[in-house]
Amino acid sequence: MDKDGILQLLTETMKNDPSMSVAVAAIQTLIEFIKLDTAETLSGLRANLKEAIDTLMKTDSSVTSIASGSELFLRFITLTALDHSDFEECKAILVKRGKLFLQKVGSSRKKIAKLGHPFIRDGATILIHSRSRAVLQLLKEAAEFKKRFNVFVTESMPDKYGHTMHNELTALGIPTTLILDSAVGYIMEKVDLVLVGAEAVLESGGIVNKIGTFGMALAAKEMNKPFYVVAESFKFHRLFPLNQQDVPDQFKYPWSRLNQSDVDLSKEHPRVDYTPPGYITLLFTDLGVLTPSAVSDELIKIYL
Amino acid sequence: MTIGKSRTVEAFLKKAAKKRNFQVIVAECAPFYHGQELATSLASAGIETTVITDSAVFAIMSRVNKVIIGTHTVMADGGLKSINGSHTVALAAKYYSVPLIVCTAMFKLSPQYQCSYDQDAYNKFVSPNDVLKYSDGELISKVQVHNPVFDYVPPDLVTLYVSNIGGNAPSYVYRLLSELYHPDDHEL
Repeated sequence: MDKDGILQLLTETMKNDPSMSVAVAAIQTLIEFIKLDTAETLSGLRANLKEAIDTLMKTDSSVTSIASGSELFLRFITLTALDHSDFEECKAILVKRGKLFLQKVGSSRKKIAKLGHPFIRDGATILIHSRSRAVLQLLKEAAEFKKRFNVFVTESMPDKYGHTMHNELTALGIPTTLILDSAVGYIMEKVDLVLVGAEAVLESGGIVNKIGTFGMALAAKEMNKPFYVVAESFKFHRLFPLNQQDVPDQFKYPWSRLNQSDVDLSKEHPRVDYTPPGYITLLFTDLGVLTPSAVSDELIKIYL
Repeated sequence: MTIGKSRTVEAFLKKAAKKRNFQVIVAECAPFYHGQELATSLASAGIETTVITDSAVFAIMSRVNKVIIGTHTVMADGGLKSINGSHTVALAAKYYSVPLIVCTAMFKLSPQYQCSYDQDAYNKFVSPNDVLKYSDGELISKVQVHNPVFDYVPPDLVTLYVSNIGGNAPSYVYRLLSELYHPDDHEL
């Protein structure tokens, strides 16, 4: 399968199921790739897979979750006895492991919703940022438990994903209000808790998320409001930035902009920012409810 | 400084008094007033003790070197569920940069998190008779009287946990939790 074929398969998979996260679509694409790959040896297959993952990173959608998801996928499927003499048998085992990984990953949002909804109490006012399918599922679960709460969502420029989130929540019957990104400080005194998703959870216990998250975390800390992060475990990434500049450029800027030869990165607007662990109260993941200091332990466990 | 009467703290201070010379200030902890019992007990062991009201905690804190308190439960995030008035003591200690040490046994560790500030789900309320006597019939019908037993202290106000397995920081509590409880048993 060539590079264009891979990207095409990814876009098709995402179009078929818009509620699926980008990383899950990428993993499905990789499983298909393994099935169709013509390599004759394990190391050949591994090299081709690495190349495929590199190609998948060259999209404009969320590269951060593709990076961590593919890395964990690769580790998971190769963590088995692959000493069969028939290569086709080995490939079949890899595909089976891949489907198992996909199954685990697919059920992660449900587990998170189950763990996180007790934190939303009746009559709560919640502030969320931009669009996150994990947060949407958690709020849906809370609403199904007959809890009454209202939500403020930031419109989240420049892509205005907050508007989509607003429509999705209103369709679920949750009273939602759209606010300007700059109104976060103003609205903070009215809310009881802040709930955000994450594009990546880093080794420090901090997160990389849509631009504007860090500002929200600062305001929440100042006004003593709990700041909760909702993230699936495949978003755990082995990175330890010390400041905003340390976050890699491929996460901050879309690939199409980075690839242009005449681009001046200092004039570009980043799409994501880094929120240090000191501003986060708790993280809801499918590995359990974690404090930021517990994240590095869990991260090491899944990468080992 | 300490608040209320924790048997762990009482034993701790009495043992320490055999080797060191120090003074203890006890906040009486209304409306149960266990602090006064602790003061009597410490004084009979020969420790120089002072009793103060809960409202005087902030005023006296500037003269305190350490705050040592006990607790009812250690929550999964490293916070405390302790006697009412503890959060005030913890805030005063933070303000004056006085270390807050919690003397507790590890069996008090709980896998639960504090889900919200909604006290009905978290706290235990006992008879308001201790706060406002029922004999004050006319007044009782006009006001709401609450008597919560517990207080939540967030983990960033606690400096150190001194327990039967040694000293630990609040950020390390998740690790102790994983050694004590299996992940499947986090739902009590």
